[in-house]
Amino acid sequence: MSRYSVQVAIIGGGATGVGILRDLSLRGISALLIEQGDLAHGTSSRFHGLLHSGARYAVKDPVSALECAQENAILKRIAPNCIVSSGGWFVQRPEDDPGYVEAWLQGCRAAHIPVLEVPVSQARRQEPLLAKDILRVFEVPDAAVDGFKLVWDNARSARCHGGRYLTYHRVDEVRRDGNQVVGVRGKNLLTGEDFAVESSLVVNAAGAWADRIAASAGVSLEVVCDKGTLLAFNHRLFQRVINRLRSSGDGDIFVPHETITIFGTTSQRVEDPLDNQPTELEVKQLLSLGSALLPGLTEQRVIRVFAGVRPLHGEDSELNEPSGQAAGREVSRTFALIDHEAVEGIRGFLSVVGGKFTTYRLMAEKASDWAAAKLGSTSPCRTAQEPLLPDVPESLYREAQALLPCAAAEKMLERLGEEALPVLEAVRQDPGKGQLLCECEMVTVAEVEKAVADEDAHHLADVRRKTRLGMGTCQGAFCAYRALPLMWREGNKYDPLGVELIRFLNQRWKGIRPALWGEQLRETEFTRAIYAGLLALKESDGDSGGTA
Amino acid sequence: MMWDGIIIGGGLAGLVAGIRAQERGKQVLLISEGAGSLTFAAGVLDFGRMEELQAQENHPYALLGEQAVRDAFRYLIGLCPVYHGEWGRPQAVLTPLGMLRQADLVPFRLDASPLAGAREIILMAPEGLKDFFPEVVKTNLQKQFPGAAVRLQRLRVEEFTNWHRVGKPVPATVYAKFWCTRQGALTLQNLLQETALEVRSGLNPVMVIPGLSSAFCPGLAQTLDKAPWPVVEVTSFPPSPAGQGLYETLKEEFRALGGELLIGSGVGRVEIESQAVRRVIVKSRGKETAFAARAFVLATGGLFGRGITVSPTEVREAVFGLPLYVPAEWSGSAFLGEQPYARTGIAVDDRLRPRHPISRELLLTNVHVAGRMLAHWDPWLERCGGGVSLASGFLAGELL
Ligand SMILES: Cc1cc2nc3c(=O)[nH]c(=O)nc-3n(C[C@H](O)[C@H](O)[C@H](O)COP(=O)(O)OP(=O)(O)OC[C@H]3O[C@@H](n4cnc5c(N)ncnc54)[C@H](O)[C@@H]3O)c2cc1C
Ligand SMILES: Cc1cc2nc3c(=O)[nH]c(=O)nc-3n(C[C@H](O)[C@H](O)[C@H](O)COP(=O)(O)OP(=O)(O)OC[C@H]3O[C@@H](n4cnc5c(N)ncnc54)[C@H](O)[C@@H]3O)c2cc1C
Repeated sequence: MSRYSVQVAIIGGGATGVGILRDLSLRGISALLIEQGDLAHGTSSRFHGLLHSGARYAVKDPVSALECAQENAILKRIAPNCIVSSGGWFVQRPEDDPGYVEAWLQGCRAAHIPVLEVPVSQARRQEPLLAKDILRVFEVPDAAVDGFKLVWDNARSARCHGGRYLTYHRVDEVRRDGNQVVGVRGKNLLTGEDFAVESSLVVNAAGAWADRIAASAGVSLEVVCDKGTLLAFNHRLFQRVINRLRSSGDGDIFVPHETITIFGTTSQRVEDPLDNQPTELEVKQLLSLGSALLPGLTEQRVIRVFAGVRPLHGEDSELNEPSGQAAGREVSRTFALIDHEAVEGIRGFLSVVGGKFTTYRLMAEKASDWAAAKLGSTSPCRTAQEPLLPDVPESLYREAQALLPCAAAEKMLERLGEEALPVLEAVRQDPGKGQLLCECEMVTVAEVEKAVADEDAHHLADVRRKTRLGMGTCQGAFCAYRALPLMWREGNKYDPLGVELIRFLNQRWKGIRPALWGEQLRETEFTRAIYAGLLALKESDGDSGGTA
Repeated sequence: MMWDGIIIGGGLAGLVAGIRAQERGKQVLLISEGAGSLTFAAGVLDFGRMEELQAQENHPYALLGEQAVRDAFRYLIGLCPVYHGEWGRPQAVLTPLGMLRQADLVPFRLDASPLAGAREIILMAPEGLKDFFPEVVKTNLQKQFPGAAVRLQRLRVEEFTNWHRVGKPVPATVYAKFWCTRQGALTLQNLLQETALEVRSGLNPVMVIPGLSSAFCPGLAQTLDKAPWPVVEVTSFPPSPAGQGLYETLKEEFRALGGELLIGSGVGRVEIESQAVRRVIVKSRGKETAFAARAFVLATGGLFGRGITVSPTEVREAVFGLPLYVPAEWSGSAFLGEQPYARTGIAVDDRLRPRHPISRELLLTNVHVAGRMLAHWDPWLERCGGGVSLASGFLAGELL
């Protein structure tokens, strides 16, 4: 059994958890984060990627609107490499309630969200795919945020300041000695070995799983699981975020990310955080809703469908009826910090639930304030000022540009920052490693090699999350194959290659299945021809020990 | 002009139909939008388990019958004598990762059986060969042939120095083309001689060379014939030299028999009169040309060939707008397991003429459907891609 001893144990490696890890580490408080999968395994990688300006909440939820507006500005400052400040539009259609527009403008003013009206003729010019019959358009500081990158950069920054994290470790119990929490115990899912952490404070940032963690400590916590489905299109359909200007509903936001667009979402109560399989019906409904903003949306190529589960804090809600399809969206998205000492008399245990990705830093600040106060630490929070990563030196840029195609160099530096140095060194020594292993997302052999060798990578899917390998239009048909020799070189670190391949293909398949038509269906035929035909793999090779 | 037959789609099925019809003295025009899937395919042909498949109601094999499939099997060997195979006795070939798999019709030297008796395996690794992973292949060979010592031998070719310098990988088809030149054959000959000095023949050495296909290149075949040990080739990740070789061979054969080829533009519109197709219209560079024929073959390759297009609301046969068999359940949860969508296609009678998938009424009297356009089969799960395409193409050629 492995044993660890720290001041604070954090459960959950989503945005909230890594935010807390970084905050505490910057304050000099020793902390260990425990995550059951890879970092960003939960909702923080299954979301829309919208850095809210707050405007979406301006009418319904003024507190959220204000928080988002402030955090939006802070994150653009501290994490510029994770954010594309594309701006966002709110677009009113003829059938949308004009009364809402006035209330919305007022709400934005109250939350200090800058709003600028864009003449409709200009809007049509700038976004040619936008519906022609729109009435009014307003610009707000919405932006696109890369969830993987932000989570990883927080983790890296925390590590530089002494923070530690364990991935593929599942917490099974928060342990108590009487009314005092004394740590956690659980299982290393890679080795099957038990582990225990001794700590005087435990922070529960397990997102949609937070109620289970609370229950293991013998306290109750209500978390509402609200599933939202999203579609990824193979083009940048719009240059900026496009919202529908009406009371929030399904299918009314488009967020452009690099070369793709993510569109959604839906809202449906589910029982279990793992109920995240999207359905074909949801896809078709979304396509039809989205056609109001982008006529002909059905013709666009959907490369992937996925769903995330919003961890909403049940007790905050006024309209908290447990059933009903649309009920989820009415539950407040402002977060809650629950000190279980105040409620149940259990000391040293805090749960952080609800909120949004956009407000992760603020949630982390509050949670860390709580921990600091308990530990008698007076160092202030620095996460609103201190950039996540040091600036990439100009020389590194020049070097990357000299060795790699321009766009590939830029993307790599965004992903890796200063850690691009060894990758460039590898390319300099062997130009072959500068080849694009993943042509869709422009990832070089050298970068994948680094990610494969990284101590945090245990499966091909972990490599995907870090490098975006397999996220483009081919959905892994070529790049999964090309990653094989790199994994092979790592010896026994990975499962047999056939097992890794089939697991990876099946994970990708989950997201392709609900939108199985058009070019993506053709790609599917090709991928099956390669793996089942040429490579003669069978589904059963996925659980046997074949090397393939 | 009135053609005896017009074939729409120039993949395996369409080309074989065209060749067979020309042999029978028919005047045939073959119209194809693209090159079809053969250039991506391994070049080996799978026939699957006849008995099992034939027992499935509606499976193409059930309609064709075993004898017709056997005839097509033998026909291909006659057409391309470089293919070897014995009915019902699949041979072993190497996958691009160096694993053994089976195939029924195999171009000479892709047959991996010599490896079984080897005590030394020399794995040649041409520098920079794209999508070929020498170390992985070596490990896999070692695992499958524990009685042999596997030795990796890097192979560097002057010709590609510039590619290597900038780190650009060399596709298998480019390497293959080089070996087929005079200079390539010489280079290989020298390499073989150098290697011979280090090999002890008492160990039954076998050499494995990826990234070439000697079956479709007589000069190269001669060089390898002279090697003092057997040479085994490896199937390629797409694009593949052997698949391309088969494609070119079939095209040449069709031309040599007097067939007319129109590649690059597809059939857009058609004219149908009382259940018979009269003319098909091809649009090329903004100009429309109509072609008339007594009979037609539809071999447009299904989902991958774009003969079937699928939108969120509709599954469509692209040329004639024929009604299709579409399974009620569209997909399955295991990617490499049963995928009902793959069985989408045109239901036909025993003369391969399209019929309504439910009422079974005959829809067009002078159209024969072949290859991936047929309903009720899955080439990947059933491992019969080559067999069904070949046999249905052959029969279509008989019926034109
Ligand atoms: C469809 C959808 C779209 C969204 N879009 C946006 C958006 O555009 N903008 C925005 O700001 N917000 C958005 N959100 C909300 C946002 O994604 C979430 O609020 C945020 O990601 C939650 O982060 P988290 O760290 O609290 O939870 P998570 O990311 O879920 O992290 C919790 C982690 O805890 C781990 N864990 C659970 N149990 C255990 C255990 N026993 N042991 C160890 N680890 C455990 C999980 O594996 C998980 O990784 C969206 C949400 C959804 C569902
Ligand atoms: C990656 C891969 C691996 C394979 N591996 C194997 C294997 O191991 N063993 C095996 O036996 N087989 C294999 N195959 C081959 C496959 O089984 C056969 O090629 C398949 O059965 C399809 O043949 P086809 O002639 O029906 O269609 P295709 O080869 O797809 O040809 C259809 C043709 O029709 C053309 N076309 C489409 N629409 C029109 C139009 N409107 N007008 C004119 N022309 C049109 C297309 O451009 C195309 O050229 C593989 C194929 C692929 C892609």
